[in-house]
Amino acid sequence: MNFYLPIAEMSVNIFVFLGMGAAVGFLSGMFGVGGGFLMTPLLIFSGIPSAVAVGTEAAQIVASSVSGAIAQYRRKNVDIKLGVLLLAGGIVGSYLGVEVVKILRRMGQFDLVLSLAYVSFLGGIGTLMLIESLNTIRKSRSGVAVSSRKPGQHSWIHGLPFKMRFHRSKLYISAIPPIVIGAFVGFLGGVMGVGGGFIMIPAMIYLLRVPTNVVVGTSLFQITFVTAVTTVLHATQNYTVDIVLALLLMIGGVIGAQFGTVAGEKLKGEQLRFLLAALVLLVCLRLGWDLVVRPNELYSLSSLAGGH
Amino acid sequence: MRQLHNAMRAALAAAAVMFAATSGAPAQPARGAAAEAAPKEDAVAVAGKERIEVDVSSRSVAVTSSFNGTEIIVFGTVENSQQASAESGFYDVVVIVEGTLSPIVARKKSNVGGLWVNTSSIRFASLPTYYAIASTRPVDELAEPDVRDAHAIGFSHVPMNIASKALASGISAEEAQNFRDAIVRLKRKEGLYVSSDYGVAFIGRSLFRATIELPANVPVGPVKARVYLIRNGAVLSEATTSVSLSRQGFELLMYNFAHRQPLLYGLFCVSLAVGAGLLASTLFRKAGAH
Repeated sequence: MNFYLPIAEMSVNIFVFLGMGAAVGFLSGMFGVGGGFLMTPLLIFSGIPSAVAVGTEAAQIVASSVSGAIAQYRRKNVDIKLGVLLLAGGIVGSYLGVEVVKILRRMGQFDLVLSLAYVSFLGGIGTLMLIESLNTIRKSRSGVAVSSRKPGQHSWIHGLPFKMRFHRSKLYISAIPPIVIGAFVGFLGGVMGVGGGFIMIPAMIYLLRVPTNVVVGTSLFQITFVTAVTTVLHATQNYTVDIVLALLLMIGGVIGAQFGTVAGEKLKGEQLRFLLAALVLLVCLRLGWDLVVRPNELYSLSSLAGGH
Repeated sequence: MRQLHNAMRAALAAAAVMFAATSGAPAQPARGAAAEAAPKEDAVAVAGKERIEVDVSSRSVAVTSSFNGTEIIVFGTVENSQQASAESGFYDVVVIVEGTLSPIVARKKSNVGGLWVNTSSIRFASLPTYYAIASTRPVDELAEPDVRDAHAIGFSHVPMNIASKALASGISAEEAQNFRDAIVRLKRKEGLYVSSDYGVAFIGRSLFRATIELPANVPVGPVKARVYLIRNGAVLSEATTSVSLSRQGFELLMYNFAHRQPLLYGLFCVSLAVGAGLLASTLFRKAGAH
């Protein structure tokens, strides 16, 4: 059954995109990730203009993260103060990201930058996760108890000014790092159409030493609001949010996520991380391939970006 | 079998001629357009001078949610036709259907440090978003290049105006030609530039018709049809008609919403997303409780 997308201006098969939403939703439910880093490349492979893919995916991430954020808030796992700082940075970063998309589209280099960003981030994070999960698997096989990280070592971050107390996170740190981290994640979200949890969660754990129970809730809080702002910015700056496409992905996504969560509970943490790392590296290789292999068609056409 | 087929064609032709003759109102603009295109011929209206009149099967095509491409029929008659039968091949007809003109940027990749990167580009100030050409036989057989040039007939004569800025930056003629060829190639691959060498058929002495496919990805906007009557490589008469291709219903609503009220549209998308997320979590929490 075909439906004509009002913003992407193309006729698509509804079931293809519902299925795509369900597949990515399944994986994100299974691995506990947002799935933006999988969905945006998939949308582009399936012929959706890259700018529309990025803008629309932001709206879908709002839908997939809002319920999680509320659940975490009820369990008192959101550090609002920290979340607001991350958010303040995030909004600035997102604004810059959307502006950069606008400029790059005009220059004809958006697809290149998007691919490079995906290849470097997915490659880096996938490799780190792969190594970490393999080490854990090897250690648990050889019977060595896996020790959790020691918290609380002082680093250069503790020397920064504008210190604030974060009660729920039991932290007394400068306000600058959360704002910078938030801005960086917001920027990536604006450019890459991702929530940025895969950057923010490690940054909060390793750089800010936020307790693990607060990390996920606070990051979801930030992602929900930043992607909401990103959606509005893409809609007003680039006219690239396709509401019908977003709705298809949301419906598929929420259903897939329910089944994914069940499947994820049957696997061990390190096994999940290994599989996720393999998946991330596959997406990375696929995107990298297109950059280095001589394309069949050297020419490409684009209508003028934001030509209004 | 063949005769039966021809007989049916003749009957169809007669019906269509009657339609064109009796339904006065819709045929009017096409007549006007024909007269406009050939005012001199009107002045020297001698018997025996051929003239064509054309129209399309539907003047407006609605792009709705279920739009998945459509086809239009461009038909017309040759006044004072001198050909003996539909099969005589006395006249040639070329039908060109063009979408709206829009600016476009064509880019070329080359290898920079191992990566394939867009390195050169040309901006075309106006290019038909859609271009379909149908004729009674291949266009290079029915007229010399200068005639085709003069009337913009064929892919190699698609009007492409390079933006003045690009010209000023000194792009060689050869390079520009490579870009033009690439545009036609890419547009053909997208199904937006189409040709049909035997797509125009005479149905009787004076009536002809061509079926033109408008693909699902045809850009929305007015679509113009130009029709040429050719005899021995010379254009005897030309006429134009048009189809309006416009969004309707839900598509129009959403497109206007997104482009005229972008802030509200963005907020609406976000609230829809929040609603969907909350609805899903309550639905599945209830389902999971059982």
